[in-house]
Amino acid sequence: MDTIITFSGISKAFKEGISGRRVQALQDISLEVAQGEVFGFLGPNGAGKSTAIKLLINLIFPDTGQVLIAGVDAGNREVRRSIGFLPENPYFYDYLTAEELLMFGGRASGMEKKEILQRTDLLLAKVSLDHARKRPLRTYSKGMVQRAGLALALINDPKVVILDEPMSGLDPLGRKMVGDIILELKGLGKTVFFSSHILSDVERFCDRVGIIVGGRLRLEGRLDSLLTVGETLEDLFLREVAKTGQKEVL
Amino acid sequence: MKPIFPVAVITFKEGIRNRAVYGIIILSLLMLTANFLICEIIMREVGKVAVDIALSTVSFSGLLLVLFVGINLMAKDLDKKTIYMVLARPISRTHYIVGKFLGMVALIIVSNVIQGCFAAASVFMLNSMYPAYFQRFSWMMFILALVFIVLSLTLLSALSFLFASITSTSFITLVLTVVSYLIGNSLSDVKALVEAPKAAGIDPSPVTIKVVQTAYYIFPNLSFFDIKIQAAHGLMLSFPFICWTTLYGLVYTAIIITLTCAIFAKREFP
Repeated sequence: MDTIITFSGISKAFKEGISGRRVQALQDISLEVAQGEVFGFLGPNGAGKSTAIKLLINLIFPDTGQVLIAGVDAGNREVRRSIGFLPENPYFYDYLTAEELLMFGGRASGMEKKEILQRTDLLLAKVSLDHARKRPLRTYSKGMVQRAGLALALINDPKVVILDEPMSGLDPLGRKMVGDIILELKGLGKTVFFSSHILSDVERFCDRVGIIVGGRLRLEGRLDSLLTVGETLEDLFLREVAKTGQKEVL
Repeated sequence: MKPIFPVAVITFKEGIRNRAVYGIIILSLLMLTANFLICEIIMREVGKVAVDIALSTVSFSGLLLVLFVGINLMAKDLDKKTIYMVLARPISRTHYIVGKFLGMVALIIVSNVIQGCFAAASVFMLNSMYPAYFQRFSWMMFILALVFIVLSLTLLSALSFLFASITSTSFITLVLTVVSYLIGNSLSDVKALVEAPKAAGIDPSPVTIKVVQTAYYIFPNLSFFDIKIQAAHGLMLSFPFICWTTLYGLVYTAIIITLTCAIFAKREFP
């Protein structure tokens, strides 16, 4: 299968506070995700999952190394034509409606109005927001905002879907809905790259996982080859985190 | 241009639906209603007072719009990370700034047209009530004053974008924009004062004179755009002055936005 996402020797540090002390967020991360794969990115809080995802979207720039999407540098805006992104705890414009939000997403991705309207109907029904499509987003609950964000991520029918904690803020029904969408995307041959704290979900959807702790990729591979008989993903995860001496997990 | 348009559209929609805009319009309506009361009380130079109050109301409302709606439109994107959903599209940071700015300019124009109509209606009614006081009044100068208010607010808004691109909080952006507004409106007078100290009976140091002269060429001279007095007194402006002032506003704004784009292109959003 073709490689669609490549992290090649990525390191990233941030300046912290007035002193400007540099905090290493990612250290020499190299990782490949193939077309059509569902890849789960796991790690404790502050491990560097969101930093890696922000590098994919070009929200931040790597200090060293290169991030490629379909062989093109992530800094090239054209690659984002084939990407859908749901940030962690998304926040959208207060006075726009879900319809207008999706119209923006479609227009910005270069889609025709007719196609956007068709996809809007389909996606709002899929995320159960059809009834609230003309309501301003500021009247939405946290879960509804999350679902609107998911619809926005999918409006351009992306090849690569990047989801940062997509289950965050969702009730069990919402989580099931997101899970179904991920499985549907997998069925359509899309690549899904997502981070999550909910290991049972990761175990259910992912072909491969990567475990990142303290900015370093500790383990990466197919789930069936990583797990020993009788071992759960949670056991594996806790074992990997314990190896680094970190106490904070999940 | 294609990626800029959707950003401009959502910026305009988000701005025009903001409740603060309605508050600003109600405030200006109250001030224009007060125009009638003030003119009736004064009953001297009614034409000049009416035009001055009407244009000052539009200018003040526009200032509130830039400071409390415009700055928030940009700052909220950065504070609440709404910018993620924009930059996740095939939109560059330059497209984002230009689109955002054009949306803001559209908001300034629409708001000014609405308030300009209210202001014109108040002047028109007072003109009908007291025609003797409006003999030198010119609608052309009134409209030109409104256009210059738009140019001035556009320049101020561009400055607020520049400050937002280099600061981390909306409060600092607000303070810097207000300071620039105050300096921009008074710098001409201060420069004239320090360059002719004897007339004012002051003795500024050479350093002070140099600082004021340097500031004069760095900060925008917003007093160029303030032609309320000329409009109130029915004084005509020369055609070259109108052209140069317009060009000054447009070129200054373009330079500020270009600088903002250059700074923003290197900015990260962790």
